[in-house]
Order: sequence, then C-alpha cells, then structure tokens
Amino acid sequence: MLLEVLLALVLGAVVLLVLRRSKAAVLKTEDGWWGAGSPPAGAEDESIRPFQVETSREEIEDLQRRIDQTRPVPSLEDSQFNYGFNSTYLQKVAAYWRNEFDWSKQVDKLNQYPHFKTKIEGIDVHYVHVKPKNLPEGRTAVPLIMVHGWPGSFYEFYGILPLLTEPANADDVAFEVICPSIPGYGFSEAPRKKGFNSVCAARVFLKLMRRLGFGRFYAQGGDWGWQITTNMAQLDPTAVKGLHINFAPVENVGPLLILSILLGRRFPGLFGFTELDVKRLYPRVEKMLVEPLKETGYFHIQATKPDTAGRGLNDSPVGLAAYILEKFSTWTDHEFRNLEDGGLERKFSLEDLLTNVMIYWTTGSITSSMRFYKENFAKGFYPPHARIPVTVPTGVAAFPNELMHTPKLWAKQKNHKLKTYTTMARGGHFAAMEEPGLMAQDIQKFIKVVEGKK
Amino acid sequence: MQAVEAIQKALQELDRPKLQLLALSSVGIGLTYFLVWRRKAKKSIPLGDGWWGHGQQTLRDDNKIYPFKVETSEDEINDLHRRIDQMRYTEPLEDCGFQYGFNSNYLQKVVSYWRNQFDWKKQVAKLNEYPHFKTNIEGLDVHFVHVRAPHRPGQKVLPLMLVHGWPGSFFEFYKILPLLTDTKDDLAFEVICPSIPGYGFSEAPHKQGFCSLDAARIFLKLMERLGFNKFYLQGGDWGSLITTNMAQMKPQCVSGLHLNMLAVTKGGVGMLLSLIIGPYLPFLVGFTREDVRRLFPYFEKNVYDLLMESGYMHIQGTKPDTAGCGLNDSPVGLAAYILEKFSTWTDRKNRDLEDGDLEKKYSLDDLLTNVMIYWTTRSIIPSMRFYKENFKTNPQNRVDARTGIFVPMGHAAFPNELMHCPLPWARWRFKDIRSYSYMPRGGHFAAFEEPRLLAEDFVKFVRKVEGKKR
Repeated sequence: MLLEVLLALVLGAVVLLVLRRSKAAVLKTEDGWWGAGSPPAGAEDESIRPFQVETSREEIEDLQRRIDQTRPVPSLEDSQFNYGFNSTYLQKVAAYWRNEFDWSKQVDKLNQYPHFKTKIEGIDVHYVHVKPKNLPEGRTAVPLIMVHGWPGSFYEFYGILPLLTEPANADDVAFEVICPSIPGYGFSEAPRKKGFNSVCAARVFLKLMRRLGFGRFYAQGGDWGWQITTNMAQLDPTAVKGLHINFAPVENVGPLLILSILLGRRFPGLFGFTELDVKRLYPRVEKMLVEPLKETGYFHIQATKPDTAGRGLNDSPVGLAAYILEKFSTWTDHEFRNLEDGGLERKFSLEDLLTNVMIYWTTGSITSSMRFYKENFAKGFYPPHARIPVTVPTGVAAFPNELMHTPKLWAKQKNHKLKTYTTMARGGHFAAMEEPGLMAQDIQKFIKVVEGKK
Repeated sequence: MQAVEAIQKALQELDRPKLQLLALSSVGIGLTYFLVWRRKAKKSIPLGDGWWGHGQQTLRDDNKIYPFKVETSEDEINDLHRRIDQMRYTEPLEDCGFQYGFNSNYLQKVVSYWRNQFDWKKQVAKLNEYPHFKTNIEGLDVHFVHVRAPHRPGQKVLPLMLVHGWPGSFFEFYKILPLLTDTKDDLAFEVICPSIPGYGFSEAPHKQGFCSLDAARIFLKLMERLGFNKFYLQGGDWGSLITTNMAQMKPQCVSGLHLNMLAVTKGGVGMLLSLIIGPYLPFLVGFTREDVRRLFPYFEKNVYDLLMESGYMHIQGTKPDTAGCGLNDSPVGLAAYILEKFSTWTDRKNRDLEDGDLEKKYSLDDLLTNVMIYWTTRSIIPSMRFYKENFKTNPQNRVDARTGIFVPMGHAAFPNELMHCPLPWARWRFKDIRSYSYMPRGGHFAAFEEPRLLAEDFVKFVRKVEGKKR
C-alpha cells in the first residue's frame, strides 16, 4: 500500500518536473533611474572615470577618536559568541584597530588594482578592473564578473584575483576580471529611490559589461552576488556564457524537494544524496528550522527596518565591526560560536577583516547596504525570478560550512544546465576570501568543462 | 441503542485475558488522563531560586534598602553632546516615511532638540520627585520607585506594583502615578515601580539564563522585603509576562492582576476554529463585533504585520550583544532604535508619515528622558539579552505556559495594541477574569500615552475585586 502511494507520488513529481521544465521563461525588467529627484533631460554621461581610494589624516583621527569613545559592556560569563560578538575579544580587536592597523597602507593595497566609476541609471557604479599582465602570444583573457555580497565587498576577491589573472598552470584559463560594488555598497553610490532590488542590480551590471565592451562573459558570485549573477543570467542568457556560484539556496519549494526532505535520510541514494548532504540536512527540525532561525535575526530586521538597524552602526565603528565581523566568525563555521574569540583569526587576518569593515565605515554605506534586504523582499519570498530557471551553463561549488546546504538534486531544480557540482574540501560562506585556492581551482574546472564543450 | 447492543455483544465475545487487558488499559487511560488533567489544573508554579552576581556566591543577601538618587554631571552631558555632534547623517530614500525604520530627516529634528533644548538636569530633578531605592536581591542591586499615598482620612490604601517592558522603563508610569496615589476618593494606592534587572538603574545579571520567571521571583522577594503580603499587579509588554508569572508563583499574595497586553501562547484547535468561523459567525465562537474589527483580516493584521514588526525581537532574541553594541556608543542610534517603537507601536499607520507622528501623543522631553535612562546606564545590551533568555526554551513548553492563572484578572484591550486577544482566548489561561474592557483609544505604551484611561480601568477592576460598587 505504502509502496503504491510512494510510486504514485514519485510519478506525479516526475510528471510535474517535466511540465515545469518546458516553461523556460525569460526574466523581464524595465529600465530604472535611481538618482535624486527627476532624471535630467538629455543622454546619460557614459564616461568611465578612473578612481583612487583615498584617505586623510582627519579620517583616521576621527576613527581613532570614536574607537576611544567605545563604552564596552561585559559579556555574560561563559557565553563566548553565543549572544553575539564577545565583548572581551571585541576590545582586543578594537585595540588592534586603534593602535596597529594601518589604513593608509591598506588604501595603497586597495589601489594596487585599477578602480573606475561610471554613471548607470543615475548612480555612480564603482568597480575594479584587473587584466592579466603576462598573457602569452595569441591568447585572449576570458572576461569574468565577480559580485560580492553582504557584509562583504569587492575586497573579498583580492586574494583570488592573482590566481585568476595570473594562473600558475600553463593550461589554466587567464581571466580579465571585473569586481563591481553593488549600488549602495562601498564606493558605489546608493540609490535614492525605493525599489532597487537584485534584478535592478543585475540590469545595471549587464549595462556595465556592455559599456566595457564585453558581449559575452562569465559570472561568479556568492551571497547577494549569487542572486545578482543569477538574475543576470536570467535577464540575458546570451550574454552570460557561464555562471559559477558558491551559494545556491532553494527559492522554489516543489514536490521533488519535499519528497527528498521526507525520504532523503532513509533513501539517500534515491535522491543522489551524499554523506555530506545527509549530515548537513538532518535532523530536519534542527538543521532546517532551528539553526536558520538562530542566524537570521539580522536578515529579519534589515528586511523590515534597515534605516533603524544601521543608524547606530554609522556612528560607532566598533559597533559596526562587531555587527559585520560576527558574520565572518559564525558564517565561516557555526562551531565558532562556542569560542571566546569566535575563531575569527583562524581563517582571516585582522588586517583583511578590518579593511572590509573600513570600506563600509569610510563610505557610510551600512544603512544603504541593509536596504537591499528590504527591497528584495518587498514583494514577499516568491518574486517572479524565483520561479524562472537558469538556462546558462552553471557550476556550483558546495562549501561544507556554507550557511545553507544545497544538494546537487536541489541545485538542478533551478539550474537546468548544471555542468559541475563540486563538494569542496573545506570552507564556509566567505569562500573566495577564506579559500581562494580551492575556489580558483573550481572555477578553472568549471570553465574547462564549458569551453571544452564548444 | 444498536451501538450499545453491539458493544455488549463484542464484550461478551472476548475471552478472559482480553477482558482483563481491556479493563486494565481503560483504567490506565483514565488514570493518565486524570493525572494530565490535574497537572493542567495546577494552581501555581515553582518559585525556584537563583544568584546572578559575579563569580561564585559568597555572602548572603544583604536585606537593607538604600535610598537612591538619580544623578548626572557636566561630563555626562558634554559627552552626550559630543557624540550627538559626531552623528554621520545618511539620507533617507525619497517618500519612505517610517517604512524603512526611523526617518533620517525627522531624526535630525529630534536630535537637534536633544542637543540644544533638552535639559537633562531638569529631567533628572523630575525623576527624583519620587523617592528611589535600591536593594540587593539574588546578587543584584534592584532599583525601584516607592510612592506612598498622602494620608487622607477614610481612604483605603492598597499596595500595587507596576512593571514596565522594553523599550520602556519605570518612567513610563510617571503620569499615571499621581492618578493612582493622589486620589480624592475612598481608594488610593501605594505604588512600587521597579526596574527589571538589566534595565535602567537595576543591575544587570552577570550569569546566563535570567528570564521572566527569575524577574518575577525577585519582585516577589522585593514586595516581601517591603512588608507587603497581598498586593495588586499591573503590567504591559514584559511587565505583563512578569506580573503573570508572579501571580502563578504566589497566587495567595496577589489580590488582582491587571494587564494591558495579553500574548496568546497556546492556540491549538480552538484558536484555529475561532479564526476560521470568527469573521462570519462571531457569536458562535464568543467574539464581539469589536473583536472581529480588531482581529481581521487575520493574516494581514496579525501574521504579515507581526513579521514586519518583529525583526528587533528576532535579532535581540538571538544576538543581543551584537545588536546593542553600536547603540551603546551612538546616542542617536539608540534614540532611533527606541523611538521607532514609540511611533509604530502607538499606531501602525504612523509608518506612512514622514515624522511617524511621534509628537502627537508624547512630548520629546518625555521620550528622550526614557532614552536617557537607557543611555546613561548603558543598559541597552542587557535589556536585549532578556529576549534571548526568554526564548531559549520553547516558550510554549515552559512551565508557566502550561499552567493557568487563578487570581482575579482584568484586561484593558487598547485598539492599537500589537496583538488583540479576545475574551474567549484569554479564558484559556486566565480562570478568573473579572473585567475585560475595549478601550476607546491608545496603543502599546498605554500608561505613557493614555494614563487617565488606564488608571480608570484599573480602578474599576480593583473595585470589582474589592466588592465595592461605584
């Protein structure tokens, strides 16, 4: 009896699947304008202006003054990182920031690659453009756009950039990389009007690539970068040659997904579940409900009251650092919540972490970065692009400590041309920054599969 | 009839061992049901105990009560001004009102008032108009205001404790205090307004786990220490939960419990049924027309709205230390965070207004005084931790959620409260409801916004309990 019911369900699911797939729609979008007031008459200034990150003594002194004014509140006894960023360790980070961190030096490091700004849809979009220096004769660099997320920035890619633009192996592909800042983040101007969501960002970045002369290119992203590059592939599948993502949360809950959740533990083979899949997905209530609830408070408040949430963080650098770096700890490994120092310096240097924080601090962009959450969930959890599949070749790098685990079967539901799916050896949410070597390797593997097919 | 015959026939066909099994299992089921039912009808919850100071407990509680005065200094005020001047403005989106949180443009106005006109010294003097005290309970210095009624002949004076919530404080009660203590008729109150440990002038717990049950027990000890064996309780927000816990722990001490906010914890089938049938046949499920007006459309008003408004609860219930960190350095950030609630929780429609209609019901002086209590005591982080401590164990499974409340209870249902709880739902847990009133106007911060209305309803409730007729 049970077997018959099960078979019927599976058959039904297969039928639905087949029916679903045949509806490969293209994502539609309208133009937008995000500057203050009304758009001016005449064509938009499309010039590309070189940009240098700058700092001043005032800026550094103001930061130091504010760090000195911190009013620390001791953490509860034995609470480590379970109540958020631990106060004792935060004082250590603040002391390093105040006395040893050299922002001028870091600014020079940021400027080692050329930066540019260009106006698109009324706002200045910032990006870093890195070309390979020593390209052998007759070879052209493959264009690639890499999009960051929250609370990251283009700086997360500084470790992987050399590996992609100057690969060690002769038969590896050399890339020409564009790392933009999402409007509202870092050096990209923030939209002045409501409604700037991931589809708008995708459209802006497509215009950017076109303006730079790239007719076809690859895209890579995690966190919001995943959403934006996915939208780019949905808006213009001919422009995006291939999509590589390290984050692939489920947007659309279908019957096959439900079935796999219900039966996956008992019959992993039926759904292609690996040991890691089972370990990360079960027990169901703990892994799919309790854990996400524990870690999505920031998401909830940013998706509803971003201006309130960011207000204090724009005046208090230590508050900003605590808010941002808590994620670099917990999203790298959940177990770090039980460490006094959140395991922060196990995978990252304080210098790199604080450089990322400084990008938010010096540009005052924390509030606008949070607004992106509200804009993306304004129409609920099920916007049009969640229902449309991705039809460009896709590669998924599944890092073991990523926030949400996506087995291959689930990734296939969304990405109909899944070319590679790699269970990575180690690494968490900030994969490019934490494991640049592994990430670069997987990008190469993915590219070779896609290019090889040509 | 046929069924009875069928059952008789079936029983007769059973052989001896099966009959024995049937008899035993019936008794077993009956016993289990009886025990479970009896457990549900338990009249009180255990008191428990705790110690929240630093390190190990070495000395016993010092039972002394020390007078306390709120103080300030030039340094404190200058530091505040310096930080306000350092605010780094972020432009709001066009036409967003209060939908994205506290509007930055209006915030400039509030901040300018705070910097240039607000007189903290004057407000401190106002705070000190009533006598403050501190006493050490379970390792923590607990602060409270103690207001006695002036001795009028022929007046009966009843003891009362008022408990605040988040992001409020004892100061929310300053307008209602004279209405309760300084009355001209035959009934007056002697009022104790404590600060929840971790809030304002009450010391924050140093150990994990301090939840409403612990606050309740500490406040019961406080009343005992002050010499009160029987008293009334009034509360909203966390105050509602804490006073309810107090009534569950020592029902014999609580003359009556008056609440302006009721959280429905255990819904179940009854709630579901009333939600489905309620809009169409309200009388069938005990709803009044007013209930229907306030509850429905349910999904929009309660689920969607609750989701929109509970982000703070989610982050405070999981990462309080991170959430409060920046707010403890930035007074403007703190003010925006706290005052956003005074706007939205007074009337949800305020979200569409550029100034959140904040000054319609409150003066900036009063609002900022409340913020200053959080600012000068650095208590924003401990105040947020209270959320995490209360959500650690599933709130529905905690002992107080599974136990009823048997003391006389009165509810003032304000129309703009965050959640509406109709009388039939309140009856699931409160077994002796003496008064249930639909208030004509007012929101979440009832005592602060409509002190007269709340005082009137509270006194009406007390009279019912005391058996007096007006």
